[in-house]
Amino acid sequence: MCKYFLQNKSVFLLPLVILIVFNLNSGAFASASKDPMEQLQQSVDEILQILQSDELKRPEKKDERKQLILNAVNKMFNFREMARSSLGQSWNTLKPEEQDEFVGLFTSLVEQRYIGKIDSYTDQKVIYTKKLVKGSKAMIYTAIVDKDLEIPIIYRLEENDGKWLIYDLKIENVSLIVNYRRDFDSIIRKEQFAGLVEKITKQLEKTETSN
Amino acid sequence: MVLKLCKVIRLLGLSAGVICLLLLTASFSWAGDDNQPPGDRQVEVYEIQAEESLTDPEDNAWEEEDWDEEWEDSSTIADPLEPLNRFFFHFNDKLYFWVLKPVATVYSGFFPEELQIAFRNFFDNLRTPARAVNSLLQGNARDSSEEVARFALNSTLGIFGFGDFARDILGLRSSYEDFGQTLAYYGAGGGFYINWPFLGPSNFRDSLGMLGDAYLHPIILLDADWGVVIGAWTFEKVNYTALTLGDYELFTETALDPYAAVKDAYQQYRNGLIENR
Repeated sequence: MCKYFLQNKSVFLLPLVILIVFNLNSGAFASASKDPMEQLQQSVDEILQILQSDELKRPEKKDERKQLILNAVNKMFNFREMARSSLGQSWNTLKPEEQDEFVGLFTSLVEQRYIGKIDSYTDQKVIYTKKLVKGSKAMIYTAIVDKDLEIPIIYRLEENDGKWLIYDLKIENVSLIVNYRRDFDSIIRKEQFAGLVEKITKQLEKTETSN
Repeated sequence: MVLKLCKVIRLLGLSAGVICLLLLTASFSWAGDDNQPPGDRQVEVYEIQAEESLTDPEDNAWEEEDWDEEWEDSSTIADPLEPLNRFFFHFNDKLYFWVLKPVATVYSGFFPEELQIAFRNFFDNLRTPARAVNSLLQGNARDSSEEVARFALNSTLGIFGFGDFARDILGLRSSYEDFGQTLAYYGAGGGFYINWPFLGPSNFRDSLGMLGDAYLHPIILLDADWGVVIGAWTFEKVNYTALTLGDYELFTETALDPYAAVKDAYQQYRNGLIENR
């Protein structure tokens, strides 16, 4: 009888515990999401930690390291939004499955450009200089000190469900989205969307084999 | 003989003019401003600017509309010379992979990174007189006097500009003004895109700018032989490539039309410098 009672009690307690944990969790989550600069800093620190880990620098850990960086980067960026704005008007003419396909290709392309760069970074320092917040959008001004030079990087973030996600970054004032937009435009004008997909696929294969 | 005399007089006149300008700008005070002591700089800037930007209406100048319309801004740079530009883009690309990159790779095996940075500082310091003049032409006496101070300090205490003493000890940073930006300040548009062989991406305005700045470069003011000028330029280029090995490939290999991507990057980069006064 007593045993039954205890069991019963635990059954009763379990949802309560879950509720408390869940509440605490969401509370912590909400407070962390308030400030875009803090959130960006956390994510960047996470990546820096991976980059600076001597353990992960060993050759046999190369794939693991890359995957860890990819995971961290994927949490920071809103790739769907970035893919949409890099296509501009053409995006609306696509079927949903074409849009999904393009998001995948675009993500790989950006990953290649920026992870290739990130990968060569070791002990560079990141400086946070300014933040501008307006409604659900924010611009965070940072600089990375590389070989005794400060390279300015501006992140543009948007809040989605309490989480700030990057939708563009400007390195030395060159916007990633605007740059890809011009690049894609130059292909679409001559070879339409199908040509663009083909080109990106080829490009990805080429770098895949060279790595 | 007469020609040579004319050339000497012209150069003397130019040098005198530059020295007068430098002295003039040096007389503006630059000390006692809000320059952060370099050691505390990062934290200070972080806090102050983060605070300021929330309250200062000027800093919040960007409007919501800009966000959406910026993507739509289709003011692509005119490119009537595209076939020729593409040809020289291809030429420079091959030059990079076949000559510049191998040379820079060997070079960086001989010279450690610290030395490469020192060389970069040295060449950078030589551009300071032109920057001082351009800041002044754009009506920014403070930046101009800072450039003068940078040139004076780095050429002496920084030992011929190999060290960036002015930045490291006094927190004086260059504003990187050039004659192309000065022309833009007075309303000149970029004109059409030009991809020069050897020199790379530019446009009509910035090509004029390069020419103007060259006249204020010490190596030209000293009337060095063309061989020396080209040698110095080549060395600077190799040194710079050694410090940025891999960047060019990464960018062009992850672009679909590298020519279009470089053209746009140049335009965005220049516009950023022009807006940032």
